[in-house]
Amino acid sequence: MSESGRKDNHHHRHDAPLSDTALRVKALESLLAEKGLVDPAALDAIVETYEKKIGPRNGARVVARAWIDPAYKSRLQMNATAAIAELGYSGLQGEDMLVVENTSAIHNLVVCTLCSCYPVPVLGLPPVWYKSAPYRARAVRDPRGVLKEFGLELPEATEVRVWDSTAELRYLVLPERPPGSEGMNENALAALVSRDAMIGTAKVVLTRKVTP
Amino acid sequence: MNGIHDMGGMDGFGPIEREADEPVFHEAWEGRVLALTRACGAWGKWNIDKSRSGIEQMPPEDYLRASYYEKWLWRLEKLLVDAGMVTREEIERRNAEMKHATGVS
Amino acid sequence: MPLLTIELAHRLITEGRTAKREIAVPAKFKPGDAVLARNIHPKGHTRIPRYVRGKRGIVERDHGVFVFPDTNAELAGEKPQHVYSVRFAGRDLWGPAAPTGDAIYIDLWDDYLDPA
Repeated sequence: MSESGRKDNHHHRHDAPLSDTALRVKALESLLAEKGLVDPAALDAIVETYEKKIGPRNGARVVARAWIDPAYKSRLQMNATAAIAELGYSGLQGEDMLVVENTSAIHNLVVCTLCSCYPVPVLGLPPVWYKSAPYRARAVRDPRGVLKEFGLELPEATEVRVWDSTAELRYLVLPERPPGSEGMNENALAALVSRDAMIGTAKVVLTRKVTP
Repeated sequence: MNGIHDMGGMDGFGPIEREADEPVFHEAWEGRVLALTRACGAWGKWNIDKSRSGIEQMPPEDYLRASYYEKWLWRLEKLLVDAGMVTREEIERRNAEMKHATGVS
Repeated sequence: MPLLTIELAHRLITEGRTAKREIAVPAKFKPGDAVLARNIHPKGHTRIPRYVRGKRGIVERDHGVFVFPDTNAELAGEKPQHVYSVRFAGRDLWGPAAPTGDAIYIDLWDDYLDPA
């Protein structure tokens, strides 16, 4: 098996020889295109969509809207798929959505122990760690240990709920709105919401350095 | 099946490794494999359940060692061959031709 | 010739393909019911994880009727049936060393469950 390069700080180096896997994919694509089974322009469009057009900023908007607008939050709880679609997000791996709300008493964490199921229309494609053995194995068995690794320690009295995405329901965590954010507008609130907070491995805090 | 993919509760996998500012695709071929899988799936020879089943049939040692999209590539080849859309010989022949053409032996 | 054009790819991504089926199938369970995840070990594809088999939980929600993956994966029919969110106590899954109060919610089909 060739390296995926994920541990290196990898940039696309066009002068470097293609890895075995890259070559194999190229060969497969040429074979399939030649047989008329795939359209390379459609492939380009799919790659671009996932690279540029679908990502956690979508889910952050849903969260911010729910924080600001109680009627929207209510619709989100009644029919998450429809409410999320109101903001323009829908589709593959998000056809049947559920929102699970964090409170001071309950903290939610989402996993797919069997593969990598993830609410793609609102969060984009999942990060490597979500799809990897350590998270998939431990999230259901030792969620507090997992959260601690992410730098999140919960009081013992908080109930941790782990959602194993075994069926086609896809879960979005509605994180708690951070204290001190009362005066902020929707855009500013959305900018606070990290992808990890919507999976359940982080809380939303008032100051944030990155927007992953 | 009671496969290696059924990992909930297993011990021994070590810490959760995270990458800051992780790109959507680490290599161009990863995006390509995803797109190819969608495009080939449109022919209706399999469904999402059959495709998940495909990955589950990977030999356990390969499953654990492979990166996520390496699993997808393995699965796509298997689905295509099982569906009769390409043959294993065609895949290997084209792969060998391309290796030769790019000077890799 | 290729089936998936740019337009169809866009539609696929934005519309998806729900596994939900608007079919009136009787539900075996309702929220509040105690259930036992079956001790089954299918040779083929299944979505009942090993860690839950034989364990007792409570039905929290009926999600409705969905395609059944075990048969669908073999191209042997959709066999649509109810899927439930079932809540399992951490201690019931992992033994007395697990923290009290932690719960694992697993989505399980009718065919994976018996009354407890």
